[in-house]
Amino acid sequence: MFVFDPYSPAIDADPFPAYQTLRDEFPCFWSPQAGTWVLSRYADIVSAGQDWQTYSSARGNLMTELPNRAGATLGTTDPPRHDRLRGLVQHAFMKRNLESLADPIRDIARTAAMALAGRGEFDFIGEFSSKFTVRVLFAALGLPMGDEQAVRDQAVLMVQSDPLTRAKAPQHIAAYQWMQDYAAGVIAERRARPQNDLISHFSMAEIDGDRLDEREVLLTTTTLIMAGIESLGGFMSMFALNLADHREARERVVADPSLLPDAVEESLRFNTSAQRFRRCLQRDVHLHGQTMRAGDFVCLAYGSGNRDDRQFPDPDTYDITRKPRGHLGFGGGVHACLGTAIARLSVKIAFDEFHRVVPAYRRADAPLQWMPSSTFRSPLRLGLSVQ
Amino acid sequence: MALITYIEPSGQSVSVEVADGWSLMQGATAGGVDGILGECGGSCACATCHCYVDPTRMAELPPPGEAELAMLEAVAAERRPNSRLACQLKASAALAGLVLRLPDVQE
Repeated sequence: MFVFDPYSPAIDADPFPAYQTLRDEFPCFWSPQAGTWVLSRYADIVSAGQDWQTYSSARGNLMTELPNRAGATLGTTDPPRHDRLRGLVQHAFMKRNLESLADPIRDIARTAAMALAGRGEFDFIGEFSSKFTVRVLFAALGLPMGDEQAVRDQAVLMVQSDPLTRAKAPQHIAAYQWMQDYAAGVIAERRARPQNDLISHFSMAEIDGDRLDEREVLLTTTTLIMAGIESLGGFMSMFALNLADHREARERVVADPSLLPDAVEESLRFNTSAQRFRRCLQRDVHLHGQTMRAGDFVCLAYGSGNRDDRQFPDPDTYDITRKPRGHLGFGGGVHACLGTAIARLSVKIAFDEFHRVVPAYRRADAPLQWMPSSTFRSPLRLGLSVQ
Repeated sequence: MALITYIEPSGQSVSVEVADGWSLMQGATAGGVDGILGECGGSCACATCHCYVDPTRMAELPPPGEAELAMLEAVAAERRPNSRLACQLKASAALAGLVLRLPDVQE
């Protein structure tokens, strides 16, 4: 009997064969291990993502939700509250408002890359991407330097889940609590000494004359820090992995960095780190011969939709000339990732600078150790050998 | 389903069957139409799915909300009275046959 268990280490390592079975044989599948239905075809995921009235986010969006978080963040509220919350923070993440960050991001990337000069082998994550992402986030949010390593470690831990209990383990909850305490400290500091920055504005913002709920301010800030570090870092490690594994693609982007944006889009399609998110049904839905009931949870398997040959020809081939528009690497619809522009800008600059120092590399170790997570997928360590 | 016709910047016309509930931006990007980007994924945050709606059918569309009006101020090509963001227009049978003209630039 076919099983799809998103807590299984085998799925962390390689979900793609199971996704193909889901798409072809069980396009509306109940997974008892996950306690969710799983939608795996591109068209079904796009439809669900558009229909927030039916596929609600208000009971959480992570496959394994963090306690007391649902209802207090962008990803865990529905319109119209969601739209108003998003309106408060979106401005800071729009492309045209990020131009002033390009030079600081380049300086951060150059410094991190230069530290690798002359090395024969290194861990891309520990020695480049995690240093880069945490400094970029600190620059973008104006956070005080000094706690970078701790913030990064806790951000990576809080998104994980336990493969045995299929829940958050005590260390994951502790990391989440740590991050809330850290965010609370930053919010208190900004309220005491407001600056012209995102957290200052957000922590004192009002919607329709009402101050934001304290839990909204705290958990939205916590989520921004988590996403800025873990999601950006996770994607960078997948992009590096793809370029290490696909020599010809790497040689092309190294020779002509203007191809980097196309390679980034193909990586977002091919194996985005944000593999699966969750919704909760507000009414019964009949789909592919199944009846999903109001109150049931539904997993939107973006990583599977991105490999659906009903949408993308030859989907298992990594092809940087593909230009896969409409991919689900950032999700889609009202909850599409807030950070698309800063992520694209940061990754492009990071790899431009990284390739100046390390133009040729391959994977140093196989198999990889994968992060245990029902939502995200990226390696814990990515050893690269310089060639 | 609604058959939507997109006129690309080159003048080439492409017709796509867009599923009910999908935005006309998603219909275009999934259907391989040129001249539309949808960089933000449909969250009304980038103004790169700007389109000119057939003026004779403007009145049939739900009017733009606050967020769309704000983003329309940021479109790269000329903003006209029939400018809309395709991510905010949802396909339904009522829109069958709608023609959208795409601008020369989106960013």
